[in-house]
Amino acid sequence: MSAGKTTLATLTVTVVLVGAAAGVLRARDRGYYLPEPTERLLYLRSGSTANRVFLSFDALAADIYWIRSIQNYGRDRTSDRPDRFQLLYPLLDLTTTLDPYFNIAYRFGAILLAVEEPQGPGRPDLAIKLLLKGLEKNPRWQYPYDIGFVHYWYTNDYQEAARWFERAAAMPRAPEWIRPLAAITMASGGDRQSARRMLNELLSSTEQYIRQTARRDLLKLDALDTIDRLNAVVEAFNQKNGRYPTDLDELVRARVVTSVPVDPTGEPFAYDPISHAISLSPTSKVGALPKKMNAR
Amino acid sequence: MSAVARVDRLTKDFRVGFWRPRPHRALDALSFEIPAGGVFGLLGPNGAGKSTTLKLLLDLLRPTSGRAELLGKPSGDVQARQRLGFLPENPTFYDQLTAEELLTYFAGLFGYRGEDRGRRAAAALDQVGLDDADRRRPLRQYSKGMVQRVGIAQAIVNDPELVILDEPMSGLDPLGRREVRELIIRLRDQGRTVLFSSHILSDAETLCSGVGILAKGQLVAQGTLAELTRGGAGGAEVVVADLAQSVVDRLTGRVAKVTRIADGRYSIEIAGAARPEPLIAELAGAGATLVSVAPLRTTLEDIFMSALSKAKERGEGPERSRGAS
Amino acid sequence: MIGRSAGRIGLVAWHVFKESVRDRVLYGIAGFAVLLVAASILVGQLTAGEDIKIIKDLGLATIELAGVLMTVFIGVGLVSREIERRSIFALLAKPLPRWEFIVGKYGGLVLTIFVNLAAMTAALYLMLAYMSWGAMEVERRAWAAPATDPRLLIAVALIAAELALLTAVALFFSTFSSSALLSVALTVGLFIAGLLSHDLQHFGDIVEVPRSVATFVAAIGWSLPAFSAFSDVKNLIVQGQPVAGGYVAMTLLYAAIYSMAAIAAAVGIFSRREFK
Repeated sequence: MSAGKTTLATLTVTVVLVGAAAGVLRARDRGYYLPEPTERLLYLRSGSTANRVFLSFDALAADIYWIRSIQNYGRDRTSDRPDRFQLLYPLLDLTTTLDPYFNIAYRFGAILLAVEEPQGPGRPDLAIKLLLKGLEKNPRWQYPYDIGFVHYWYTNDYQEAARWFERAAAMPRAPEWIRPLAAITMASGGDRQSARRMLNELLSSTEQYIRQTARRDLLKLDALDTIDRLNAVVEAFNQKNGRYPTDLDELVRARVVTSVPVDPTGEPFAYDPISHAISLSPTSKVGALPKKMNAR
Repeated sequence: MSAVARVDRLTKDFRVGFWRPRPHRALDALSFEIPAGGVFGLLGPNGAGKSTTLKLLLDLLRPTSGRAELLGKPSGDVQARQRLGFLPENPTFYDQLTAEELLTYFAGLFGYRGEDRGRRAAAALDQVGLDDADRRRPLRQYSKGMVQRVGIAQAIVNDPELVILDEPMSGLDPLGRREVRELIIRLRDQGRTVLFSSHILSDAETLCSGVGILAKGQLVAQGTLAELTRGGAGGAEVVVADLAQSVVDRLTGRVAKVTRIADGRYSIEIAGAARPEPLIAELAGAGATLVSVAPLRTTLEDIFMSALSKAKERGEGPERSRGAS
Repeated sequence: MIGRSAGRIGLVAWHVFKESVRDRVLYGIAGFAVLLVAASILVGQLTAGEDIKIIKDLGLATIELAGVLMTVFIGVGLVSREIERRSIFALLAKPLPRWEFIVGKYGGLVLTIFVNLAAMTAALYLMLAYMSWGAMEVERRAWAAPATDPRLLIAVALIAAELALLTAVALFFSTFSSSALLSVALTVGLFIAGLLSHDLQHFGDIVEVPRSVATFVAAIGWSLPAFSAFSDVKNLIVQGQPVAGGYVAMTLLYAAIYSMAAIAAAVGIFSRREFK
């Protein structure tokens, strides 16, 4: 066999085998559900042990656990394993134990914990627990502010939210706009207008992930507005024709709307012909909408 | 079988330079044949392409163009390798292994099994004269001469028809060189063909039945030693002592050359046609003492130098090949 | 024909083994491993109740680390050292096809590594047996798995598979790089990349990027040697949790197929290689 033919043959064999190997691995990962080795964290979960085990490398270890936390969240977000998001809090807790001054791990971690099903674990209680731990080590206005935000947006406890905003405003170097925010929250908690105002403030944050989250939440408010408008259109259709439309296309045909309405990410809205309710498509990227967020 | 090795218009370019690699022609359309039997020397200065030629024959390098054959098979043929042995230039083997283990390992690669394997290894080591104690020492304790002998032993472990030795004498002391020379003669007497490369001409002169001279990747001379040195200058060189200056003056013009070596000691060369005897008688009559008389003939060195200078005159060098693919 | 090939491959492999066991580097690493396994007794005493588990964890980690070091430092020299000392010229002039040379080298190193692995595993079991002998019945009942759990061998088998894969990778780099240092760097680099391969495979789930980027990164993740595929199961075994036989079998199969791919690539490169 000539050198050229040998090369081609071995190259082909290599590529085919790498493909086959990847296939086996994929089949393995899909075919077998491996319980998450939670115990792995057990003897490291106590901070003192962890510090001893990692010697002087605990900051580095914290970084590694932080990366693992994000990866764990990313993996579980698209999987349907029964124990999804189970490890997220322990991982974040371990990260922040190893490095108690890891601000991003507290603040971004809290957002990940608070995100509702199916995008996240929907555990605002754990989010607040993590932030309280952060506040203890880092007395900075951002922590009470974030706690207030979780109360406002995820648990819709506006009393608590306002209380934490007040506390944030009282802390050194807190920006001016927090105090009015506390007042607005108290007066008109749960209304979209004030929520929008708050999110717009967040858009000027120096932290990129805060801006990103705010931008996404603004899209949710937009989606809620559109849903309200569409509900009105559907109701008007019923008034006029004495029946509800069978699908959204019918609204287009009746020239009530110009095209099938889409959410801020371009996904058409879903319409349930039985309950006549408009909602986000299950495949929409907007994410879960806040439950109690009134138009006025 | 007439030729044990044949190369046909063999050309090899190397790419040299790291940033802007350009081809350097190491061998340029080289063609020759080596007949079976005898010792063939591939000679030439460093960088002439001797090693490159041997490596192309053994498929350690791949030709840019042309063909190389060994024992009637294209280079790289496994069956042909069964019948040949090779000693690389300045070999070092496995430090941790003993000579015995190395030879047994290699004998196994040739397909010897069981007792045969050990017997072949021992026979090859006997041939190169390595004693029992040395055979069981790890190779890292060996002198250069001993390593070279082990190298030759591993080249003949399969009782080959053709033995190829790349610079077998380089780096050896005079004693070691003589040992290797004697080994080559013994291999020849056993009916094997020996092909070796060298840049040392005296080695070739005492060993070779045929030589090929390489310069800058081209064959500049080839033939048997007899063919190449035939029709040489002839004549003789007479060395005398206690020669008076007046006699020297008288001789100038009548002989080819007079060279003063020391006080009263001279070398006198006479041309091919003249006989040395009358001169010797005359010098003896003048009271000089005869030191030596040697016939002059063309040496390999003369051929080598003239072939090299001819190649230079043609203006051929590596530069010419620049830009070739 | 096949018999002859097998015979020559066996010879090359046996030679590698013989040469490696006389190499001081090997003893250095093995000695270090045994010391570390022994030292895990001390570490075990720092943490009450979990000592057996920690000894198992540390023991397996040490065995794996020592195996990786052996593989890398011996593996990258397999071919480059032969070229350096020019023994390759004599060897390849023998009736030994180049693919047999590569396969033989691989077999020899895998043999060396496996023998060392067996020795280190025996040391670990001895230690665990000693710990178990000294423990009280009450303590023993608290352990998630018995001290000398035979299932640890499954973990060792997975380490063996991982190292066999790493050997193939090291051999692959050794065939075309003339500098041993570069080979070490490339092998270690690919090992680390392989440890991250699982994250690359699911890159799109973790980071929000355009689909094309996610697909591209995932393709790289799937084509890298997935050294990450071996770790989870080890932890489960140490914790005494059940592990499906099929899962282990498929992991071993993966290592086998990918090793063959790396060897095929090594043969392809080595067959073309010229020796100046």
